[in-house]
Amino acid sequence: MEESRAQQAEVAALLGVIERMAADLALAEEPSRFIAALEAGRAAAEGAAPSA
Amino acid sequence: MTGWTVEGLATAIREGKVSPVEATQECLGRIGRLDGKLRAFITVDEVGALATARRLEAEQRRGAWRGPLHGVPLAFKDLCFIRGLPTSCGTRTSEYFIAEQDCTAVARLAAAGAVTLGKLNMTELAMGPFGDNAHHGHAQNPWRPGHCSGGSSSGSGVAVAAGLALGALGSDTGGSIRLPAAACGIVGLKPTYGLVSRAGVMPLSWSNDHVGPMARTVRDCALLLQVVAGRDPLDATSSPHPVPEYRAALSGVIRGLRVGVPENYFFQGVHPEVEAAVREAAEVIAGLSAQVSEIRLPDPQTMSDVCNIVSRSEGSTIHARLLRERPHEVQPVVRARLELGLQIPAYDYLQALRLRARLARAFITEVFAQVDVLVAPVIPEPAPPLAHATEGPVHELVVRQGRFSRLTRPFNGLGLPALSVPCGFSSAGLPLAFQVVGRPFDEATVLRVGEAYQRATDGHTRRPPLD
Repeated sequence: MEESRAQQAEVAALLGVIERMAADLALAEEPSRFIAALEAGRAAAEGAAPSA
Repeated sequence: MTGWTVEGLATAIREGKVSPVEATQECLGRIGRLDGKLRAFITVDEVGALATARRLEAEQRRGAWRGPLHGVPLAFKDLCFIRGLPTSCGTRTSEYFIAEQDCTAVARLAAAGAVTLGKLNMTELAMGPFGDNAHHGHAQNPWRPGHCSGGSSSGSGVAVAAGLALGALGSDTGGSIRLPAAACGIVGLKPTYGLVSRAGVMPLSWSNDHVGPMARTVRDCALLLQVVAGRDPLDATSSPHPVPEYRAALSGVIRGLRVGVPENYFFQGVHPEVEAAVREAAEVIAGLSAQVSEIRLPDPQTMSDVCNIVSRSEGSTIHARLLRERPHEVQPVVRARLELGLQIPAYDYLQALRLRARLARAFITEVFAQVDVLVAPVIPEPAPPLAHATEGPVHELVVRQGRFSRLTRPFNGLGLPALSVPCGFSSAGLPLAFQVVGRPFDEATVLRVGEAYQRATDGHTRRPPLD
């Protein structure tokens, strides 16, 4: 019983971030934009840091 | 032999000073002498390793050269599928995990001449940051047996630190390369998401899994990364871009590089010896003429929670059959984590993936406009006693696991390259470490900082007192 209550509390705590932040997401936001963010970061990295 | 690096041994073999068979026999001998206590390996392939070494030696006599790892003995986390060897994924039941294909990263290392010594211990299903495993024995910290090795790539950390293998592969979903690297006093690189193929590696979370090298030096990690990185048609998430020459970037020069030390989150609640060691490492880096400054980061806890929701959901989905058919075979704490993942609604999982995209975009844009790399702690405390990982109520163990991986997990969600570098020892003689985090696919700069630090210091040349 104690383990079950602890698990429910952990799930609730974990999902709190969705409750707090998901409402502000733009309609166009989608998971694949994560890869796009990495690709954009890669492009920005080229020449950004002082080279060896 | 115990002092060899991958690079040093490869050179010695090429120059005929050591043969592949001698190197392999030396590692097998050390495994035989030490691994009963250390528990780094789940499967030792003595026959296969010696056969490969003999073949490589014969090829060398004919003047044939497979590549930069010709004759170098390596070992791999036991979630890498290798034809002819069992894969347990840290569970009791290796027959449950059937390979559909060989691990691409292992195949690339073998094609470059590496000798496979065997398969390495890991936390069950790669779920847990301490390195405990009730089925295969708890991996022991080589610096202080009875203490955690870090996990989940526990055997990879132990084997390399103890000189049982020259290098290893690990996987990192929330810190599983960097945590054992830090706890065992070696170097571990979680590359950018998509740089190294995950094909043939048992997944825990498609969205957060990364495969990467672990070795004693940054130079060795660069060499191993060079071999395994790059497009793989068998992994749809692998990046199509050309792979740069990583070792060419290891100039030791970091003059003018902008290095950010986080002022929020990463030093909160960490052990004073960890904080002191990481700040001292930042001073060493500043002494090499880098511009070190404090930086306030977009809240890493938010990304950590988002990453956790995604990993829990995907892990429970992947292992739902195991949980349904063989729950009694799974350790209670792992079972609890899997059961928790099944309670996350699809709505929250999908919102987490959408949030991740927005958070990553904001972090990369804001942070890397101000600095070129970040330097932060990896483990919040020196490796704790194994009892910390194994004793207590399940819900308490889960909380301890979350605390131990809280400094690494945000960078899995962000997908950024993160290199764990050892930076001294605690008063109890346990290794301490910092991580260098860079822009997406800018492993060259991350490695350059780590290598410059290792050039300027000698802590990484110490070996655990095992012989």
